[in-house]
Amino acid sequence: MKKFLSILCLATLSGFTQAQTTPTSNELPPLSKAKEVGRSKSSYIKLKEEKVSTSSKVPKANLESFNKIVAPILKKNCLDCHGPKKAKGKFRVDKLNPDLLSGPHINEWVEVYEVLSNAEMPPDDEPDYHLGDKERSAFVDWLGTEMNKASLVRRNETAHSSFRRMAKYEYNYALQDLLGLKYNFVEKLPTENTSEEGFKNSSELLQMTAMQFETYREIGLEALQKATVIGNKPAEVAFVINMKDEMVRRSKAAEAAAKKAKGKKKSKGPKVFDISDKGSQKRLHILDTKAGKGIQWTEDKYAPVKGAVGGKTPPLSPVVMVMNKNESIKLNLGNKIPDEGILRVRVRAGRTNVDPKQFASLRLIISARTSNNANFEAVISERDMPVTASVKKPQFIEFLVPLTEIPRNPLRHEFGKKTMGKDARMINEFLSIKNVSNAGGKDALKLHVDYIEISGPYFKEWPPKTHAAIFRDSKNKNNEAAYSREILRRFMGKAWRRPVSSAEVESYSGLFNKYRPQFKTFEGAMLEVLATVLASPDFLYIAEKAEVKGKQQITDMELAMRMAVFLWSSVPDNELLILAHKGKLSDPKTLAAQTKRMLADSRAKRFSQKFVEQWLGLDKIENVNIDKKKFRGYNADFKNAIMEEPVAFFSEVLKRNNSIIDFIHSDYAVINEQLAHHYRITNVYGPDFRKVAIQDKSNRGGILTSAAIMTMNSTGVDSHPLKRGIWLLEHILHDPPPPPPPNVPQVDLTDPKILQMTQKERMADHRNNAACRSCHTKIDPWGVAFENYDAIGSFRTKIKNKEVDATSVLFNSQKLDGIEGLKRYLLTDRQDQFARAMVHKLTTYALGRPLSFSDRADIDKMTAKLRKSGDRLGDLVHLIVQSSIFHSK
Amino acid sequence: MKNNKLSINRRNFLYGSGVALALPWMETFAAKNAASNSTPKRFMAVHHPDGVGLPLKKDPAWHDWSWFPEPGKTERDFRLTKVLDVLEPLRNDICIYSGLSHPAARTVHGHSNADQFLTGAAIGGSGPYKNSISVDQAIADANGDETRHSSLVMCTNGGTGAPRGTYTISFNRTGRAIPGLNNPKQIFDMLFKTSGKDAAAKLSRSKSALDLLIANTKSLGRKLSKHDQQTLQQYMDSVRDTEVKLIKAQKWLNTPVPNVNASHLKLDSEPKDARSYIQAIYGLTYLAFLSDSTRVATYNYGRENGGGVHDLLSNAIGQGNAHGLTHAVKKPNGWKNLGSYNRFQAEEFGRFIQKIKDTPEPNGNGTMLDNTFAMHGSASSSFHLSRNYPIISAGGKNLGFNNGRYLKFGKGNEDNQAGAGIVTDVGWRGEVKHQEDPLQHLFVTILQRFGVETDEFAGYKGGLDRV
Repeated sequence: MKKFLSILCLATLSGFTQAQTTPTSNELPPLSKAKEVGRSKSSYIKLKEEKVSTSSKVPKANLESFNKIVAPILKKNCLDCHGPKKAKGKFRVDKLNPDLLSGPHINEWVEVYEVLSNAEMPPDDEPDYHLGDKERSAFVDWLGTEMNKASLVRRNETAHSSFRRMAKYEYNYALQDLLGLKYNFVEKLPTENTSEEGFKNSSELLQMTAMQFETYREIGLEALQKATVIGNKPAEVAFVINMKDEMVRRSKAAEAAAKKAKGKKKSKGPKVFDISDKGSQKRLHILDTKAGKGIQWTEDKYAPVKGAVGGKTPPLSPVVMVMNKNESIKLNLGNKIPDEGILRVRVRAGRTNVDPKQFASLRLIISARTSNNANFEAVISERDMPVTASVKKPQFIEFLVPLTEIPRNPLRHEFGKKTMGKDARMINEFLSIKNVSNAGGKDALKLHVDYIEISGPYFKEWPPKTHAAIFRDSKNKNNEAAYSREILRRFMGKAWRRPVSSAEVESYSGLFNKYRPQFKTFEGAMLEVLATVLASPDFLYIAEKAEVKGKQQITDMELAMRMAVFLWSSVPDNELLILAHKGKLSDPKTLAAQTKRMLADSRAKRFSQKFVEQWLGLDKIENVNIDKKKFRGYNADFKNAIMEEPVAFFSEVLKRNNSIIDFIHSDYAVINEQLAHHYRITNVYGPDFRKVAIQDKSNRGGILTSAAIMTMNSTGVDSHPLKRGIWLLEHILHDPPPPPPPNVPQVDLTDPKILQMTQKERMADHRNNAACRSCHTKIDPWGVAFENYDAIGSFRTKIKNKEVDATSVLFNSQKLDGIEGLKRYLLTDRQDQFARAMVHKLTTYALGRPLSFSDRADIDKMTAKLRKSGDRLGDLVHLIVQSSIFHSK
Repeated sequence: MKNNKLSINRRNFLYGSGVALALPWMETFAAKNAASNSTPKRFMAVHHPDGVGLPLKKDPAWHDWSWFPEPGKTERDFRLTKVLDVLEPLRNDICIYSGLSHPAARTVHGHSNADQFLTGAAIGGSGPYKNSISVDQAIADANGDETRHSSLVMCTNGGTGAPRGTYTISFNRTGRAIPGLNNPKQIFDMLFKTSGKDAAAKLSRSKSALDLLIANTKSLGRKLSKHDQQTLQQYMDSVRDTEVKLIKAQKWLNTPVPNVNASHLKLDSEPKDARSYIQAIYGLTYLAFLSDSTRVATYNYGRENGGGVHDLLSNAIGQGNAHGLTHAVKKPNGWKNLGSYNRFQAEEFGRFIQKIKDTPEPNGNGTMLDNTFAMHGSASSSFHLSRNYPIISAGGKNLGFNNGRYLKFGKGNEDNQAGAGIVTDVGWRGEVKHQEDPLQHLFVTILQRFGVETDEFAGYKGGLDRV
C-alpha cells in the first residue's frame, strides 16, 4: 500500500494513487467516512492562494527546471517506448517542445499530465520503467505550473466568442416568456447538434440555414396568432355531466330495457344494483349514496348543453361516480369540441379516505377511433392533478387545455362528406378522465365525482392578456399610423432586449404600411410585421458587441442576457434589463442578489432541467430499445419518472446548497413512489419527488446508479458495461476515452462460445485482442463495477443463476469491488477530479461555448474556491456568475 | 377566431391545395447538384389498401389467383398468375418483390399500416402517434424546387385521414400528413389553371420582409467583432438563400401554366366510376410529368378498411365493397374476385407504365419510363397481415434499376405461404416465424439513385442488395 501524495500544484487533478487503500476486512467504514477522507486529501483545498492571473509580468517558460528535473525522467522512464526506437500510441516524448507558453505541443503535454496524474503511465506491467512517487510529483508539479502559465498567456491571444443564436429550447422559452404562452412552438425546427461534451447551446455548433430561417418565420407568426385574437369573442360550447341526472336517465333506460326484454333472454346493458352488491362496485359505477342504489357506467355520447357556460358550482349531490384505481370516465363528445382556444375541464372530486399512504390524481386523455381496428390516444393534461379533498368537501380539479397544441381527430369535420361513407363513428373525439392512483389494500382509496363540466373556448378575460400585452389599449387606438408605431416600439424593445431607435421603428412601420392594404384588419397586418421582428437576428442571436480597444468586459446589457440564458434558458426580464440599462448589474452585490432572485424564480427549473439533461446526456435513453417483454413495468409513466429523478436530485442539491459530492454518493435519494418501488425503498407514497433518507446498503444514493443512467447505458435487454464506463469517464470525470480506432473487430455474437459468456467475460475476451486492449483497460473496469444493475437499473445479485461478479481492476491497479467500491474510490481519491469536472461542465453550459486550454486557469481557480468553501452547488453558481470568465467576451 | 387566410405561411396555403410548392427544405436531404438541363428523374408511388390474395398452395385457386408469381430457375424466369398477367407485355420493364416489409409494423393490424408504407416509421397500433418523412417527400425536399410543384399528392378519400387511418401516404419532414387531392377536375385546375394571385401577394410581402431583415443584419454586424461577423454571415446567407428561393417561386408564378390536352380524361369521374377515375388519376400524373410541373407523385387507392368512397373502386370488376373482398375469399369465387380486383389495379398501373414507355424524352435520353421509378404496392399481403408487402416497381433504367426480375428477399417464406389463406386476426397477432428484410433498404437505394445523399432511412442503414 503506497502513500497518497499531495501535490501543491494549482492544476492538479486527483491525487494519483497506485494500488489504493482497499482494506481487506469486511468491515469497511461507511461511505460518508470516505467522503471525509477524500476531502482531507484534496490538493485544491491545501493549495495556498497563489497569485495566478492578474500579475502584470509576462510569465516565462521555466526551461531550467525542465532540463534539471523533467528531461532525465523522460529519458529514463519514457523514451524507450515513446521515442525513436518505438513510438507506442504514435507518441514521442523526444519531439515535445518543453516551452508550453509558445511551443506547439500544449495538447500533447496535457495528455502527459493526465496519464501521469492518473497513474496510468508508466504502465504497471513495466517494472523497469517504474516511476517513483517523488519523481512523479516533481514532474507533475513542473508541468502543472507551466500549463497554468500557458493558459494565461494564451487566454489573451485566443478569440473567445459566445456570440450565437439561441438554441432550440432557449428560443422556445424566449417566445414563451415574450408572449406569455407556455406552448411548445419549436417542433418544426430541426434537431440541434450536440457538442462533443453533450451541450446543445455550444456557440460553434448553432448553425443557421435557409430552412431554419424560414421555419423561424413560420413559428413566429404562428406563435403571434396564438397569442392574439381577431374579431369578437367566440361563443362558448359547454358539456355538463351531472351524476344525479345520469343516475335518473340511466336507471330509466335500464328499466325500459328490462321491460322490453321481459320473458326473453337476459336483457343487455347495465342494471340498477343495491349498495350491498359489492361485486357490481368493482367496476366504474354511479352510486346514489343516500338511496343506496347504484348503476354501472357505460360509455355514452354527450351533446353540448344549450345555453350552458362553464364555471358553475352546483349544490353537492349524494349521487356520485365511484372511481377505483386506474378507472377512466370516457366521454364521447362527438365532433363538438372547439378547434381553437382553451378547453376548460372541471371535475368535482373527493377522496373516500384520508390515508396519507394512498394517493389519487386525475389525468386527462383524448382519443379517437379512426377505423374499426385503429385508434390513437394522447395524454393532454400537463401533469396529474392530485385529489386531496374528502368526499364530504370535494374540490374542483381544473384542467386548461390549449386545443391547438394537442393531437386532434382530423376526421372530426368530415361528417356527411362522401369520404366518410356510412361510418360516422370515426368523427368522434373522446375525453377520458382517469384516476391515477396507488390505492390498494382493505380500505382502498376511491374517488367520488359528482359533477363534470367541459367548456371552451375559455377566456379568463377578453381580450386575453396575451393579446392585450401586444395590442395595448391606447389613446392612439383609432390612429393606425401612430398606434402601429407605438406597438412596434414596445414590442421591438421587448423582443430585442434593448431600447430601439426611431429609425428602426420607422423601418418596420414602413413594412406595416406596405402590408396594410393586403389585410382586412389592422391586427392581421400587424402580426406579420411583428413576425418579422421575431425573425431578426436581434431576437434570434445572443449578440455581444465588439470589444473596444482591449476591453474584454462584456457590457451590463450583455451580462443580463448571459444571466438569463444561464439560469432561465431564456431572455432577461424587465428587472434585469433595467438594472443593466442603469449600469448597475455588474456590481457584485447586485449581481449576487439578482442571481439569488433568479434561482428562486420558477423559470430556474429550466436550468436544472436543461443543464442536467445535457450534462448527463439523458437524451441517450431515446436510443435504447427496452425489451418490453422482459421489463413489463417499463412504460411511459415509468420512463417519465426515471428521467425526472436526476433533475429532481440536482434541484434538491441546488435548493439546499448541498455539496456536489452528493452526486457521487448521498445518504438520501430524491424519488417518488414509483422509483421507491423500483429501488425497493419502503414508505414512499405518491407521485411527487421528495428527499428520502437511505442507507448505504440500499445500493442507491447519488446519481451514478439512478435508473435513468443505468437504462440509457444498457442494451435494452441487459447491462452494457462499456457504455457505463465511457459514460462515467465522459460525464462525471470529464476524462473522455479516445474514440475507437477504425477496423476494430466486433464482438462476434454468433460464436456460441462468446454467446455463453457473461458480459464481463465477453469484455475480458475482447480486451485480450491487442487492438482493443489499450482503450478498454481504461474503460471496462469502471463499467464492470455497475454489473449489479440490470438494463433498467434494478439491483441484482444473480445473472442467469450465476452470482454477479462486479469486481474489477483499474488501469492503475486499483481494485473496485462493485458499485460500493467504485464510489469509495471516487470519494477517497477522485474528489478533486470530479469537482473540477463539475466546474468545467457548468461553466461550459453557462458560457454557451466550449472551453479551451486558455480557460484552464480560470477553471482551476474556481475549483479551488469551490472546494475550500465546502463544494456547495449553489455557491458554485454564484462563483461562476461572479467569475472573470463570465464577465469576459 | 383568427383570420387564417392572412397567414404568410405558404406551406399551409399550398397544403390546402394538395401540393407543396418548391421551398428550400433541401438541407435535410441535400441533393447532389441536380443540373437543371439534365433529364428529370421522376418518382411515382401507388398504394392500395387491404393487401392481395394469398391462397394456400393446396387451394385450387392458388395456381391462378395467388398474387405472387411462381418462381422459376432464375430471377427472370417467373410465371405470372392471372392477377398480374396483364403486366406480361411489360415483363422486362418491371420488378416484383417479396419478403420485404417495415419491421416495426409487422405485428400491427393491417387496418393501421398505410400510414407507414412510405415512411417506415414505428407508428405502433395504439396510444400516442408519431410518423416521419415519407420517401417521396425526401425526394421532393431534395429535388422539388426544379419544378412548379415539389410533389403531387393524391388519394381517393381526399385530405389527410387520421392517425393509423390515413388517407394520404405522403408525410412531411416533421411527420405530418400532407393532404391528398381526390377530385380530378380540381387536380387539373391546380396543375394547369392556377392563377396564383394570393401566392404572388404573399411572395411580395416576404420579399419586403427579407429586405428589411438584411438591412437590420447589416447594422447589427457593424457592431460586432470580426469573428462574430462571420457567425452572423451565416444568418445573412440564409436570408439570401431564402430570397433566391422566393425569386424562383416568383418565376413559377409568372410562368404561364403549360397548355395540355386532357380531353381524353374524364375529369368529372368519381370513385364509383372506378376505371375512368383511376385512369384520370394516372392520366393527370402523366400530364404533370410530361409538362414537368412536378417530378414526384403519390396516390393512395383508399384508407385501409372499408366504409368510404374508396370501397366503390371495386365497381371496376362489377363488385361492390372492395374491402369486403378480402373477407370473402373463402366464399364461392372469393379468391377470384379479390384477384380480379388486384388485376384491375395492375392493369391500370401497366397502362400508365406503357404510356410513359411510349413517351421519348425530348433530349433523347431514352423514354420517360427509363427516367421514372414507379412503385405499386400495399402494406399488407394477406388478410390484415402487415408482412411480405406485395410490391411491383417499374422503370428507372437510367437510374440504375435492372428490371425483368422477381426478387425474393428474406428467408423461410420462399413460397409466400406464411399467413396464406387466413381470414381471421390470428394472422397479424401471430409471431413472425420467418425472416423478412426491411423495406427501408429499398428506400435508401431509391433515395441514393435520386441523388439524395443519405445512407439511412427511418433508422435503417444501407441500400437493398440486387436491385
